[in-house]
Amino acid sequence: MRDLSPRSPITWMLIALVVGYALILFGLPIVTIVGSAFAKGIDPIVKTFNDPEVQHAILMTFALAGIAVVFNAIAGLITAWVLTRHHFPGKRLLDAMVDIPFVFSPVIAGYAMIVLFGRVGWFAPTLFPIVFALPGILLAKIFVSLPFVTRELQPVLESITPEQEHAAYTMGASRWLTFRRVILPEIWTALLYGLVLTFARAVGEFGAVAVVSGSIQGYTETATSFVFRALNDRNPSGAYSVSLVLMLVSLAILVVLNILKHRLVTRKG
Amino acid sequence: MSIRLEHVSKLYGTQSVVRDVSLTVNAGELFVLLGASGSGKSTLLRLIAGLLPADSGTIWLHDQNVTHLPPQQRETGFVFQQYSLFRHMTIAENIAFGLEVRHVGRKEQHKQVQELLDLIGLADLGNRMPAQLSGGQQQRVALARALAYQPRVLLLDEPFGALDVQIRSQLRQNLREIQQRLGVTTILVTHDQEEAFELADRIGILSNGTLLEANTPNELYHAPKTRYTATFLGHANLIPAQRNGTHLYLGDYRLPAPAHTEHLANQAVELLCRPEELELTHTLEEQRGQVVGQGIVTSIAQSGRSVRVGVMLNGQFNETPLNILLPPSRQRELGLQTGQCVWVRVNEYHVLGTQTPL
Repeated sequence: MRDLSPRSPITWMLIALVVGYALILFGLPIVTIVGSAFAKGIDPIVKTFNDPEVQHAILMTFALAGIAVVFNAIAGLITAWVLTRHHFPGKRLLDAMVDIPFVFSPVIAGYAMIVLFGRVGWFAPTLFPIVFALPGILLAKIFVSLPFVTRELQPVLESITPEQEHAAYTMGASRWLTFRRVILPEIWTALLYGLVLTFARAVGEFGAVAVVSGSIQGYTETATSFVFRALNDRNPSGAYSVSLVLMLVSLAILVVLNILKHRLVTRKG
Repeated sequence: MSIRLEHVSKLYGTQSVVRDVSLTVNAGELFVLLGASGSGKSTLLRLIAGLLPADSGTIWLHDQNVTHLPPQQRETGFVFQQYSLFRHMTIAENIAFGLEVRHVGRKEQHKQVQELLDLIGLADLGNRMPAQLSGGQQQRVALARALAYQPRVLLLDEPFGALDVQIRSQLRQNLREIQQRLGVTTILVTHDQEEAFELADRIGILSNGTLLEANTPNELYHAPKTRYTATFLGHANLIPAQRNGTHLYLGDYRLPAPAHTEHLANQAVELLCRPEELELTHTLEEQRGQVVGQGIVTSIAQSGRSVRVGVMLNGQFNETPLNILLPPSRQRELGLQTGQCVWVRVNEYHVLGTQTPL
C-alpha cells in the first residue's frame, strides 16, 4: 500500500464529489432495483418469470444479442482490418463513419429502418417482414453495437507490424494460417473485449428496438420493452424483476470486462 | 547460379525505385547490397522474396523462374531490421514455425529447433518469450527462424541496424560463420560500408534504384568504375588530370597511365588516390617516383591509430584538397606543421573518366 501523504481540502472535496455521484448514479439504482423487486416478497418475482411472454422477451433478447455479436465480430474485424491495413480514397471518411451508431439517436436510427425496410419502404422486403418483426430487432441491435469491435481492434492491429505477417509468408504460411497463428493470438483479448461490449449494448438497447419492433407482446417485445410496458401498466414488481435479470447480466459483464482489461494492459495485446 | 535478376524494375506510383537491375549472386556467396537510404535496396530485397511484385524483369532462384510466384512458394529466409518475432510464441515456437507450416513431425521439429538454438548460441533459452531477450538475441532467433526450413536463399534487410555498435560486430562474425558453415546463398542489405567490407564476398553499389557496379570489396575500393562508388566507399582524393599518349599529366608532373585505360585516351580524367596511398616529404629530392605535386599543410588530426593530414595541392589551374593518412612514426619523423610546404607522392592510383554519365 502506498503511503498516503497529507491531502489538501480541495483533494478531499474532489474525491467526495466523485464518490458521491458514483453512489447516487450507480449505487442508488442498484439498491432501488433489488429493493423494489423483493418489496413484496418472492411471489411476484416467481409469477413474473412464469409468464410465457416474459420468458419469451428475455430469451429473444439474449438470443438476438448473441446473433448480433457474431455478426459484429466478423464485420468489425473486417472493418478494422481494412482501416489499418489498406489505403484507399475515402478511408478517413469511412473511419469517421464507424462512429455514426454512437452519435445518432437510436430512435432516429429505428425510424430510418422503418423508412427503408417498412412495408412501403424504399427497400421493402419481399420474402419476410423486417420491420415489426424479429429481423428488424436484430438489425437495430447490430446497428447500435457496430463500432465496438472495430474500435477495440484498430489500435492492436496497428501495433502488429506488417513485417510479422511478411515473415510468416516467407516461411510458407498462407494468409489464413498467418491470420490464425500470428494475428489472432495477438488480437484475441481486444476482440473479446469488443464482443462483450457489443453484447452489453445489444442486450440493453431500447430506443431503436422499440421503434422498429412495435413491441408486440409475446412476439417482438424485448426485455427492455417489457420493463417499459410494465412500468406504464403499474406493474412495478414485473418491471423490477426483469430489470434485476438485466442488471445481474450487466454486473457479470462488468466483471468480465475488468478481467479482460487487466489482461490487455499486462499482456500488451 | 543461385539468384539471378534480369532487368528488374519497380515503380511506386510514377516514382521509379528499382531501375533495370540485373545481377547474379553465385551459390554459397554472401552478397551485400550497399546503398544510402532511399536507394531502393530494401525494395529490391522484397522483390526477390515476393513480398512486392516486380513491374518488369525476371527473377530466378536456383534456375527456377519465381517472378510470378507468391512469397510462400519462393522458399526464401527473410530477416527484418526490427526482428519481427511472433510476440506470443516462445523462442522455440518461433523457430519451429516454418517447420510446422511444412508439417514436419513434432519430434523432428524439436530436434531441429535444438540444433538451431545451439547454432545461434542460445541453447537454454527455447522456452523464453521474445520480450525477455535482448535485441541481439532476438535478431539471432530471427536468423535461426529464417534458416529452420532450409530456405533456398537467405535475405537480410539491415539486420544489425537496430543494435548497439558492440553487439553489431559480434553478430556480424556470428552471421559470417553460420553462413559459411551452411553454405547458404545470402543477400544482405545495408547502408553501413564497414559492415559491407567486413562481411561481403562481393558488394553491389545501389544508387537511385540503379545497380552501379558489383565487385569484390578490394576491387571496388581500389578500382571503382564510377565516381559515386569511389566517393561512397571510404575517402576519395580526386585529382584532375589529362591522359595523353601513355601518360597522365597533372600540370608539370606526369605519371604512367595504368593498363586498360586506353579508352580514356586524350580525355580529361580524374586520378583516384586513397588517403593511405599518398606520402609526404619536405623536398623534391627525397621523393622517388610518382610525384603528384606540391601543397600546403592545412590540418593535422589524430584519426584512430593514424594521423590524418590535410594538404591543399597547388595545381596548374586550380587547387585540390587532399586527405592523407600517415603512420604516427612518419608524422614524428617529418615534424609536420600546418602552413608548411610539402611534396606529395602517390603509391597506387586509379583513373576515372570524367565524361561517363555516372
